[in-house]
Amino acid sequence: MKRSMAVLWLSALLIFVLSACSSDKSNEQKNESGSSPVSSEKQKENGQDKSAASSGKKTKLTYWTFDRHDVEFIQETVDRYNATNQDNIQVEVKSMAENYAQSVDIAFASEQSPDILRPNQDTMIPFMKKNYLEPLDPYLTDEMKQKFGPTFQDQVNRFDGKIYSLPNFGYTLRLVYNQELFEKAGIEKPPTSLAELVADAKKITDVGKANGQYGFALNFKSPKSALDRSAREILQLSGYDGFGFDERMGKFDFTPYKAVIEAFKQMKDDGSMLPGVESLDIDPLRAQFAEGKIGMYLSYSAEPGVYSSQFPAKIKWAAALAPTITGEIKGASGFANSGQWLAISSQSKHKDEAWKFLSYMYSDETLQAYHEKGLGLSAVPAIAAKAKSPELNGVEGFLISKYDALWPLPPAVTVEGLNYGDAFLKYILSGGNLDEIVNDLNNRYNSALEKAIASGEVKVTPDPDFDPMKLQGTMLAK
Amino acid sequence: MGKRKFLEPYAFAFPSFILTMVLGIYPILWAIHYMFYDYKGYGEKLFVGLANFGRLWRDDLFWNAVGNTLIYAGGKIAITIPLSLVLAVILNRKIPGRNLLRAIYFMPTVISTAVISVVFFIIFNSYNGLLNQFLQKFGLLSGSVEWLGPKYAMLTVIIVAIWGAIGNYMLLFLAGLQSIPEDLYESASIDGANAAQKFWYVTVPLLGPVMQMIILLAITVSLKGYESIMVLTEGGPIGKTDVMFLYVYKLLFPVSTGSVFIQEIGYGSAVGFATAIIVGLITCFYFVISRRMNKIY
Repeated sequence: MKRSMAVLWLSALLIFVLSACSSDKSNEQKNESGSSPVSSEKQKENGQDKSAASSGKKTKLTYWTFDRHDVEFIQETVDRYNATNQDNIQVEVKSMAENYAQSVDIAFASEQSPDILRPNQDTMIPFMKKNYLEPLDPYLTDEMKQKFGPTFQDQVNRFDGKIYSLPNFGYTLRLVYNQELFEKAGIEKPPTSLAELVADAKKITDVGKANGQYGFALNFKSPKSALDRSAREILQLSGYDGFGFDERMGKFDFTPYKAVIEAFKQMKDDGSMLPGVESLDIDPLRAQFAEGKIGMYLSYSAEPGVYSSQFPAKIKWAAALAPTITGEIKGASGFANSGQWLAISSQSKHKDEAWKFLSYMYSDETLQAYHEKGLGLSAVPAIAAKAKSPELNGVEGFLISKYDALWPLPPAVTVEGLNYGDAFLKYILSGGNLDEIVNDLNNRYNSALEKAIASGEVKVTPDPDFDPMKLQGTMLAK
Repeated sequence: MGKRKFLEPYAFAFPSFILTMVLGIYPILWAIHYMFYDYKGYGEKLFVGLANFGRLWRDDLFWNAVGNTLIYAGGKIAITIPLSLVLAVILNRKIPGRNLLRAIYFMPTVISTAVISVVFFIIFNSYNGLLNQFLQKFGLLSGSVEWLGPKYAMLTVIIVAIWGAIGNYMLLFLAGLQSIPEDLYESASIDGANAAQKFWYVTVPLLGPVMQMIILLAITVSLKGYESIMVLTEGGPIGKTDVMFLYVYKLLFPVSTGSVFIQEIGYGSAVGFATAIIVGLITCFYFVISRRMNKIY
């Protein structure tokens, strides 16, 4: 028995060793689809690229994306490209719902990266630091430079003067409100100042509380995420950065947050916020809004899509420009997550072909169709200006206006202790001294910034002439 | 033949040795290496010596997580162990439907923690949670209790943990109970012992070694548990349910918030190392105490 077990294990070990030795070959076979440039080169050297020969030497490209909302559209677009392109290029799309960044890391480590990548605001800098992306400058025509020029931004899609990705869509930020509750509470128009916001939330709660309806809500389960989709646009429209960074000084200063946080605290203390906001995630919040239980909240332009399919809204709702601190607009609301869409892998052996595919994806037709189908508001001013409004209920209030703009990206720093989201939520729930909280945040964030500058991780150039008012109209004149 | 006999145990141990090295030892060595560096998952790693441990020492968030872990694990163990023992004793009797009841109590162990947590969110949330509705319907509550708010969130996550663990420990106790010879109970009955006395003087002492193992298991599992907390509260509100392993997880795999986020592999490794030491020390402490108790008993 023991002997046969030992034989069994040794056989298993032998199979393991043999399979490891033959992995190159299997990879080569697997990568006849072109997913591994290195092995396909080997195949060519060995004269083994039989599949390529039999299929008329098609160049096969792989395109990895994490986007789920547009899978159908992208697949149709790619199928059309595969059927019509004259360059013998075949593109295979892989939609990787989870762990995209980790999958890309593994692919690069094993030299099996896809030819086309989908960076976003979270992965762009890591991808750049890891040298995953190829500069697009040699490929960009003058016409494209003109078309995408207004969207080029340092640390977003431009690094050391070189462009690594171009945008397609992005998100505007707005106040989303329940028109029926507004009517019931006798409110004629959305609030334009924080004082009005607080008062309206109270009015809605007064008339709706008996039915479980409250004036305001935030997804405070993730406090920073909640503030980054709410306080952010209030501050930006009021003329301040939405992440606590003062562009003029080149330093962090959370002082402007005070007015916004006080207003949020007031609504919590008034009982105008939905009970349990501290454990509320964005999807449960949306589900409650769709049921008519929330009067107002602030969020991205993903909401019309959410209320048409994910949580079909049972109420009449609309979106409007966020209120400002005083009621006066002194800046522009940030157009979020918009700088990147597609990029070419630095490991790709078919960069020219990848660019041909990218040219198709970035054509006016594709970008315009993307926008008009309601998959995302176009981040390209030339497209946004001529595209028809998407046929999606509620999208009107989210459309780009002269009050939307690309803000400079604040430096990413590693802060010790509570981040501003947690620190401000602590104040909203349990009180304290807001001045001390702001001072503490300023000290810790600036100390982290100094450390990051000293290590060469970030570069900060103060811009004493930075004027948020001048951001207005930079995306769309009207 | 002698050589083969000599090699046989190594051949058997080889596969698990390889797996342990690749999936256990290598990641530990990797983390130990990085805890002396400032590394964000990309770019150059910067040697910082013991700076990460200096930060750890003054990191209020970490010590808050340590305190929360002790409350969470303590609360969970203090209720789960006696309750699962009582359940096991009841279900060890020949009562009708005991196999079905055993299966029902064990079911939470095989259900995904994420699913359990979502169900409990539906029960405990403040705005339309079933628990609040139930209490209000029977006039036990006028307003709504914020079960996931700062005041009760820890209690709520402990309740969820107890519910998830009780069936598992019950099964282990059942296995222990079935190894106790029936004639000991018969002797006790002849000597005039009642049910409580039989439990206290026969069951508990003879379950000693099993109980020792179960408590050891419960300590390590509870100190490392974070999955249901991550789904229910993400460690909030304002850090009230942040536990050690969740804190480590958030440092190594930060949640995107729409702005740029940074992985802290160096500091996360240092915190991971410190949490492993804390769990190890508590486990060792229990081990020493239980061995001494064995000698006394």
